[in-house]
Amino acid sequence: MNTLFALATGLMFGMGIFQLLRRDLIKSAMGFYILFTSINFLFLAVGAYDGVIAPYVDANNQTSSQPSDPLVQALILTAIVISFGSYALLLGLIAVSSRRFRTLDSDRIDQLKG
Amino acid sequence: MSNSLLLGPIFIPLGGAALGILLARNRTYQQIIGLICGVLAWVCSVAVLLANLSEGIFTYNLGGWVPPYGIVLVADLLASIFAVMATTVMAAGILYVLGCRDKSVSAPAFMPLFLCMAAGLNGALYTGDIFTMFVFIELMVIASVILVAISDNRLGMEAAIKYLFISAMGTLFLLTGIAALYASFGTLNMADIARLLASGERPVLAQAAAVMLMCAFLLKSAVFPFHFWQPDFHTTAPTPVGAMLSSIIVKAGVYGLIRMTTLMFTAEAPLIHDLLVVLGLIGIFFGSLGALRTYDAKRLLAYSTFGQIGFILVGIGWGSPATLAAAIIYAVNHSFIKSSLLMLTGTISSRTSAKTSRLSEIGGVGNTLGFTSGLYFLGGLALAGVPPLNGFISKVTLIQSGIGLEEWLTVGLVVGAGVITLMYMTRTWQLIFRQERAETVQLKPRGDSVLAPALLIGLCLVLGLFASPLIQVALRAVEQMGDPSLYIRAVLGG
Repeated sequence: MNTLFALATGLMFGMGIFQLLRRDLIKSAMGFYILFTSINFLFLAVGAYDGVIAPYVDANNQTSSQPSDPLVQALILTAIVISFGSYALLLGLIAVSSRRFRTLDSDRIDQLKG
Repeated sequence: MSNSLLLGPIFIPLGGAALGILLARNRTYQQIIGLICGVLAWVCSVAVLLANLSEGIFTYNLGGWVPPYGIVLVADLLASIFAVMATTVMAAGILYVLGCRDKSVSAPAFMPLFLCMAAGLNGALYTGDIFTMFVFIELMVIASVILVAISDNRLGMEAAIKYLFISAMGTLFLLTGIAALYASFGTLNMADIARLLASGERPVLAQAAAVMLMCAFLLKSAVFPFHFWQPDFHTTAPTPVGAMLSSIIVKAGVYGLIRMTTLMFTAEAPLIHDLLVVLGLIGIFFGSLGALRTYDAKRLLAYSTFGQIGFILVGIGWGSPATLAAAIIYAVNHSFIKSSLLMLTGTISSRTSAKTSRLSEIGGVGNTLGFTSGLYFLGGLALAGVPPLNGFISKVTLIQSGIGLEEWLTVGLVVGAGVITLMYMTRTWQLIFRQERAETVQLKPRGDSVLAPALLIGLCLVLGLFASPLIQVALRAVEQMGDPSLYIRAVLGG
């Protein structure tokens, strides 16, 4: 279970970075959100404090008798709210700028030069 | 003195923001509420500083939960000094908003967002819990991104998108660092983490966390490898917002670095210090030379911020108590100087019809404005470190403490870079106020009010003539930081 968790987090992180570096702003924004989700996964994994089993199941995939750490779940909720807010703001900004610049290609939004 | 005073600088602006949203239809009420909140927050932060000086560190447990389980607000001298600096500049910024003629300022969400930015900054300074710090920093970032996006400058939107992506990277670093700290220690309270680290426990992840947190803070204060967003973002912002961003918001990262090296990662501090000196020197030269070659008055000041943050980092990086005190003094003085200079540039560019700050178009605009010219001249001298202004005090304390350490090479470089500051500030002043105005430029009869920058420049003069209180307070703050067990005992008891 732990290996699966590590793989999932790593995969999502990689996907997020890859998407974030795309030229299309919408895809970048999606990468932004995927990255934050991968960090939430990381927090969830941190909740298994002894580092042996995931917090919500025991070794036999049964509901665990050991309670999971509730604090990380509160942290994840906060992080979800914040990342959701930033994501909404980002999409709003992209919507306005796509109307203004007539493009979603981040390479062509380059009027800022000093 | 009640501990609940600590809530003031955070929750008064936040309450003002909520009230401001309710009064969105009436701009006058909104602005009056903003001003009242700014002044009240300032009064509270000064009271907290005074209480700190007489009684030492004090804390407030939010919701009555005892640390390390609950969220705790901590006011030690370092946090209080930075908070007084932040609320002073914020109050001046709100005053500037009242006299500002930009279109963006009359947007219904402007004042609430401005107050949210203040609340976020004060919260990040006062909190004793690292996750709460993340939440407050995000509040600050989101508010400032929206404020830049609605700027009169059409390029604000582009800068806002850029910064939102980059600050997401910073958030990512910060969150990963927090997760690593939680995995190693099972606590998020900074005092508790410091206690566990001091007791000799060194999990592998703790050092990874140190690196992550450092990256996050360097990104927030726009230091060398993470600096490229800063001139764009600070230049395109509406004048009052740009003045806040370039003076106090970047200091949040500096505060985080000081807190990190003196409280939590004291064992790793020598390594971090060496890195900070190098990054600071790169910043000083990049920033100063960038300021020399730029052709926009606001962008010049943004580049100069990049250089001045370098001076502060060198002060932190030298790592002795005297240099740390010098870094704190430098941070405070720089905030006042830079915000007033940006506001003065804003008043000049508000006179032109295009509201631009390009030197080719505002050259000579200040020809007939004697008072503004004098203020700008004083501000420029302060930035360059000429007596009797406060910039001189900060440069002298920094260089003196460096000489005390016999760091001759870095001292030489720092002095040399100070000369470049004098070059670009006098050049800009000449261009704006001393040359003949082009015939084609039409001037508006009235621009933004100069009341707020005049007050700040007055403060610079006062801090230059009577410097010893600030120096004394900074030295006491460093003395307090030198013994992390004071902070730990104040938070955790026992």
